Amino acid sequence: MKTKIKKIFTHWRVIILLLFVIFSLVAIQPHFSNQGAAIRNVVQNSSASLARIENPSPKLTPLAKERIIALDGKKVLSAADYYDLITKVQENDTINVQTNKRSYSLLATANDLGRVDLGLKVYDAPTSNLRKGLDLEGGTRVLLKPTEEISQEDFDSILDNLRERLNVYGLSDIVVRPASDLAGDNFILIEIAGITEEEIKELLAKQGKFEAKIGNETVFLGGKKDITYVCRSADCSGIDPRKGCAKSSRGYSCGFFFSISLSPEAAERQAQATKDLDTQNEDGGCFLSESMYLYLDDKEVDSLRIGCELKGSASTSIQISGGGSGTTQQEAVAVALQNMKKLQTVLITGSLPVKLDVVKLDTISPSFGKEFMSNVALIAVLALGAVALVVSIRYRRAGVVIPMVLTLVTEMTMLLGFAALVGWNLDLAAIAGIIVAVGTGVDHLIIIADEAMKGAAVVYDWKTKIKNAMFIVMGAYFTVLSGMLPLLWAGAGLLKGFALTTIAGFSFGVLIARPAYAVVIEILMRESN
Amino acid sequence: MLKLLKDIYERRYKTLMIFSFAILILALVQIGVQYYTTGDFINRGVTLKGGSTITITETAIDSNDLKSFLKEKFPKADISVRTVTSAGKVVNIAVDSDAQETEEINNLLSAIIQKESLTKEDYSVEVMGSSLGQSFFKQTITAIIAAFLLMAIVVLIYFRKVVPAFAVVLCAFSDITVSLAIFNLTGIKLSTAGVAAFLMLVGYSVDTDMVLSTRMLRRKEGPVMERVYSSIKTGLTMTTTTLVAVIVALIFVQSEVIKQIMLILLIGLLVDVVMTYIQNVGVIRLYLDRVEKKGKIQAA
Repeated sequence: MKTKIKKIFTHWRVIILLLFVIFSLVAIQPHFSNQGAAIRNVVQNSSASLARIENPSPKLTPLAKERIIALDGKKVLSAADYYDLITKVQENDTINVQTNKRSYSLLATANDLGRVDLGLKVYDAPTSNLRKGLDLEGGTRVLLKPTEEISQEDFDSILDNLRERLNVYGLSDIVVRPASDLAGDNFILIEIAGITEEEIKELLAKQGKFEAKIGNETVFLGGKKDITYVCRSADCSGIDPRKGCAKSSRGYSCGFFFSISLSPEAAERQAQATKDLDTQNEDGGCFLSESMYLYLDDKEVDSLRIGCELKGSASTSIQISGGGSGTTQQEAVAVALQNMKKLQTVLITGSLPVKLDVVKLDTISPSFGKEFMSNVALIAVLALGAVALVVSIRYRRAGVVIPMVLTLVTEMTMLLGFAALVGWNLDLAAIAGIIVAVGTGVDHLIIIADEAMKGAAVVYDWKTKIKNAMFIVMGAYFTVLSGMLPLLWAGAGLLKGFALTTIAGFSFGVLIARPAYAVVIEILMRESN
Repeated sequence: MLKLLKDIYERRYKTLMIFSFAILILALVQIGVQYYTTGDFINRGVTLKGGSTITITETAIDSNDLKSFLKEKFPKADISVRTVTSAGKVVNIAVDSDAQETEEINNLLSAIIQKESLTKEDYSVEVMGSSLGQSFFKQTITAIIAAFLLMAIVVLIYFRKVVPAFAVVLCAFSDITVSLAIFNLTGIKLSTAGVAAFLMLVGYSVDTDMVLSTRMLRRKEGPVMERVYSSIKTGLTMTTTTLVAVIVALIFVQSEVIKQIMLILLIGLLVDVVMTYIQNVGVIRLYLDRVEKKGKIQAA
């Protein structure tokens, strides 16, 4: 027996298999005991960002993300703990936030709705490097289609623009990528993990064309070319202190303002547009005869009176104002600030070259995801157990059954390791692909076992037996491969995850795990024959 | 008894084959009838024809009550309410509708939220624009046809004879067609995941067919029927293990998507047993008989 085991572990196929498995485990890095609330986003200009907590780069692996483990000495074991503890913090308190990296001191400020918000979006700390797709973690998936034909260049600039808009808005854990289908249509797929607000849809689909006109002349547009700086800090943006909030017929309305800086060219255009205007003296002061009108997506959103001192002057600093209303003052403030944020984003990032249609929209609540994960794990274990049972009944030899079960486990491990390494998001489609790969794995192992077990009646030597078995396996492999390839492109890649995991799982199985099993069987059975 | 069955299987294989073709024809008839009566050859769900699905985890809801309430409030919408069960317990309630515009969906959603006092964590929304659903459907049909063609080519290269390639493709086609007909009879609406499941069936079907064809055609030891029986042994073990795993998943899984995949696999695997060991065996036996006859005539 000992020599057999030695033979097994020194055979090159088994060694390769073991190397791959070890590599996969390293890639996955299971840390089942990980606790805490991992930071998904740090909202700009919040107390968290002021305390220098870093916004995690999307390139970070899940386990490398910073985790909050205590708030003011109280343990934080999950995202729920964090959000719970936050409600007990008072405004203007100084809190100590401890992460697995270091300690930060934060000043608690209230957000737009009057609640204490440190500006941190967190989620349950990941227990491995496997990235969970939306179906498992909750979030929003949007599929956008340009309403007109556009060039590849424009398409790329739309992708960049959308990424920037989402980043500016404070979201970094996002996926923005092109997708296409067999009909040749191009789509944009956006996935944002974590609970998101409804504005996301507005933010993405609105073309965001911003224009400022004096009279009929466009003075400046949104985007970096004309607007060099948009203020977002409290000293030059927020609720307008001069207008404040006032009661209106349907509740309250509040005014916001923020300053921007224009480029010299835009400022010059403004000077040109104003130099020939008349001045009018009114009780508010001295103003020019024409106002500046601001248009967002061809709708007028604001008009500003221009002070006389700006006549003919290439002033680069301008104040933009607007408002928002609601049934309560609190709501009005929130809406006003939301509108301000939207306008700021559009001014910073500029407009999209063409309008986008929302073709598909999924919002998945995270509680779905959590239950789903544990459900899937349970089923995987049960299914594996059931398969082992059937195989034991058929073969009744531990030398056949145990390596089979172990091989299946290695196939699953390698597939997951590959997913962790490549940074795939595991979603339902991917899980279905895993099911297929493992399901056929069992089949092929059975084929190999059967060929190997053809007893003394057959005078084939081992090489031929294994060759026969692998022949069938390879044939099936190529056939399924050719079936999966078209799926990579069909239907805007909705089944891409499924096709990829099936192909990857199959390849790992057929090329690495199953031949190794054949070797193991050979060594274990050979001397007993 | 067993001897009688064995006898029938060995001697009357042509009759059995006709039986399997009869099943295939019945399946085609079902699909044809479905097409004439509903305009579509399968029951398409929301993800394939456009619309939205609101999935609710709050299970203390009377789905019939909710359905009549929604139908009353939105008489023009095509709404259906169904329950998703796992291990006998209801785990989700799903509201399918043809609402695609945000406004329509929000109206529907707020009606449900208000009636059942739900919070944000209690529901999920999935929307599929109808054009995407349609184009996806069309493209998967193309993908399936492409898969068949490629499969035939691979088998052709492997066996260098037309007959086995034809037999494998015919078997896979029969598997999918009969499974589709049976699925239609269940009344469940097909989703994008279901389409993926049908493609998986192709893979599983090919596995069992390859074992059979290789043993029947490329091995020369022993009489043909012995090789057929050894293939049955191997093939049934393969199918049983997968069936067992699929049944476990079907009972315990909570996700509707995976449930549909498992159901289609279950139906498909059972159909595959019939098609592989009756139809496929029959076709190859016919072919071998003819080869033998030709050999005898030439020798004589």
